[in-house]
Amino acid sequence: MTTNVETTEEYAPELPVRLEWAEHAPEVFKAMVRLDAAARKGLDARLLELVKIRASQINHCAFCLDMHTKDALAAGESVERLVQLSAWEESRHFYTAKELAALELTEAVTVLTDGFVPDEVYERAAKHFEEAELAQLIASITVINAWNRFGVTCRKTPGHYRPGQHA
Amino acid sequence: MTARTTRLDDGVRAALRAAGAAAKKGLADPGLAELVQIRASQLNHCAFCLDMHLAIARKDGVVSEAQLDLLDAWEEAGDVFDARERAALELTEAVTVLTGGTSRACGSGGGFVPDEVYERAARHFDAAVLAHLIGLIIVINSWNRLMVGRRIPPGSTEW
Repeated sequence: MTTNVETTEEYAPELPVRLEWAEHAPEVFKAMVRLDAAARKGLDARLLELVKIRASQINHCAFCLDMHTKDALAAGESVERLVQLSAWEESRHFYTAKELAALELTEAVTVLTDGFVPDEVYERAAKHFEEAELAQLIASITVINAWNRFGVTCRKTPGHYRPGQHA
Repeated sequence: MTARTTRLDDGVRAALRAAGAAAKKGLADPGLAELVQIRASQLNHCAFCLDMHLAIARKDGVVSEAQLDLLDAWEEAGDVFDARERAALELTEAVTVLTGGTSRACGSGGGFVPDEVYERAARHFDAAVLAHLIGLIIVINSWNRLMVGRRIPPGSTEW
């Protein structure tokens, strides 16, 4: 693991990965990579990282949090906006109205098990994103949810990602 | 009820279809594939996917009516589901409901896929089949999000 915090006490050991699923299901993996590339077309890169980090927080995906916070920071995102992200409803002045609409939609599409995507959430997003861009946003929220599920289920190890590694 | 939008990039649709086809091929169990896809669609409340996969499951009896009737209560359904099916359904639920609760330490959930759930699945499926089963659970979760997010009505031909 990489960390800049000096301590004399030992950190807990890394948990081992459960399954190298990409090696065991290479055709599924390759299709997922194509899906990711297709879904991100036309979306603002900075907005997309916020969406991916927020979904990864809600789904508790350590690997995806490691990857997307590093990519966001490397692309010039502010530490403050990343730190505030899990409380964005109370720190709205850190984000644009378009980003807020995207974050709200991200939460609704991510937490389907508690029920549907409310009309008002969808409509707010539709005010800020034209139809084709909104379809890409929904697809990208779907894709990060998929990566979160692979990461959590197979217990991919966080801490080793280098910015831009999977770009 | 009409769809909010039927827009979806052709590349997105094609890649997700390819992922699903590869996952089903690797799982090599059409009945179990439908059980898993229906259960995830129940949890995610996806009317379009339920309609589609219940029709596929009923066609040629790929899943029995008894299993379809009791799927929502599979844990209490006695021997209607065998140990391998139960392990797959348990994994489906864990992978689908990552968001639950706020703290495992405080017993209020907190998501993740429990070790015992993963290990039971790993006892019934070898690594390659398990990787494809996980893939299929994730692909149906993806379709659920695309359909619920855009509110595609059940039975719709344009999606």
